[in-house]
Amino acid sequence: MIEWIIVLAVVGIIALIVIISVYFINRIRILSNRIENAWSQIDVQLKKRADLVPNLVETVKGYMTHEQKAIDMVTKARERMLSAGSTKEKMAAGAGLAAALKTIFALAENYPNLKASDNFKLLQEQLDGIESKIAYARQFYNDSVLSHNNLITTIPGRWFAKGRTPHPYFEIAEAERAPVKVSF
Amino acid sequence: MQKVSFFDQIAKNKRNSIFLTIFVVALVAALVYVIIRLLFPQFALIFLAFALVIMVSHASISYRYGDQIVLKATGARPADPVQHAYLINTVEGLSIAAGIPPPKVYVVEDDEINAFACGRDPKHASIAVTTGALKNLNRTELEGVVGHEISHIGNYDIRFMTLVAVLVGLIAILSYMLLRSYRLASRGERGKGAGLLIAVGFLLAIFAPIASRLVQATISRRREFLADASSAQLTRYPEGLASALEKIKNINQGKMKVSESISHLFISDPNRSPLDALFATHPPLEKRIEILKAM
Repeated sequence: MIEWIIVLAVVGIIALIVIISVYFINRIRILSNRIENAWSQIDVQLKKRADLVPNLVETVKGYMTHEQKAIDMVTKARERMLSAGSTKEKMAAGAGLAAALKTIFALAENYPNLKASDNFKLLQEQLDGIESKIAYARQFYNDSVLSHNNLITTIPGRWFAKGRTPHPYFEIAEAERAPVKVSF
Repeated sequence: MQKVSFFDQIAKNKRNSIFLTIFVVALVAALVYVIIRLLFPQFALIFLAFALVIMVSHASISYRYGDQIVLKATGARPADPVQHAYLINTVEGLSIAAGIPPPKVYVVEDDEINAFACGRDPKHASIAVTTGALKNLNRTELEGVVGHEISHIGNYDIRFMTLVAVLVGLIAILSYMLLRSYRLASRGERGKGAGLLIAVGFLLAIFAPIASRLVQATISRRREFLADASSAQLTRYPEGLASALEKIKNINQGKMKVSESISHLFISDPNRSPLDALFATHPPLEKRIEILKAM
């Protein structure tokens, strides 16, 4: 009789451990997949922003005849963006492109005809939309990283997070925080 | 964390949707049975079978096309990619923040500030905003309102609320029909037991719309608070939604031309009535604003 109770108890405890392990291992996997998904959302928007550049250059060229430097800067920033491979490189290149675009739009203030053109207005609306989507995607990414990191660094989650390290957050790059410098 | 209660909410909405469907199918089948018992007692069982078949198809149509029915009922039109680019961008941005696929965007021609979401899950969802909202709300306010609707989509409120809209609408129509058949039946000759059936039918006919309206009222009040809170979490700016609700309070007359059976879908009650204290589908705006400001 006693033996049976012991056997049952042992089986029960093992079953419980298995269920808990499966739960936590899956939970960590789900959260880490969510980070990947969140990153791909940012990636899509970064790419859309880069795709906007040729159109913008085409529109701006005719009006901004004395700003070749700024225009070249945007084109170069776009090329760097498109050739970036790793997540880190993309984050940095994205910040560079954002800064270059800001310069263009700041310079556009000096060209009333350009500002009044429908094409330019549409581009500005599109770019505003993309910028806010990037901001939201970054928010979702950082939220996802937070839940993932919380789970794998606290007990009991950390017991099941073998070899996993906390994910880095998507920080706003210095270049994006700095005010735009416009040289005349 | 709050994520847990969020998943609870999704599970609860899915469960409630199933319960609601079964309840409505059974209730309507019972109503039909009572009507036929009164009029043609010999066909009662056949009609019961008919009613069940029809109701089950109705339920599945409600599930599949409920969003289309609701959108038609409000006269919503798809948002124009150029004219409403700003609204579409806002909706897409907030759906990214919430981690759901971008819903379809519609615009309702109306001067009142209002918005609603409908559909069956985040993959089949729509958001509609009135032209009054587009005109009167600034950027942060519109973001707050859209965030509120996106939250309804994310936690499957829309599945339950769309089902309520379409199924409850039917109960109201059918019970109205039953009341009329009662008047017909009481004039004709009825056998024993008819009195009881009439009484039951009469009670059902009176209580069905009241019951459905009560269900409608209790389900959405808590949801609105929850969606307000989630919206604040998405936009990180509760003041935006608070100030939008303030404008709704001051500008809206509560005179939108929409059916009572879909009023619970809107962010703010589209038709105000003296019965609101009892059957209000929305918590008072003052209370919602107060909570948002305290965040």
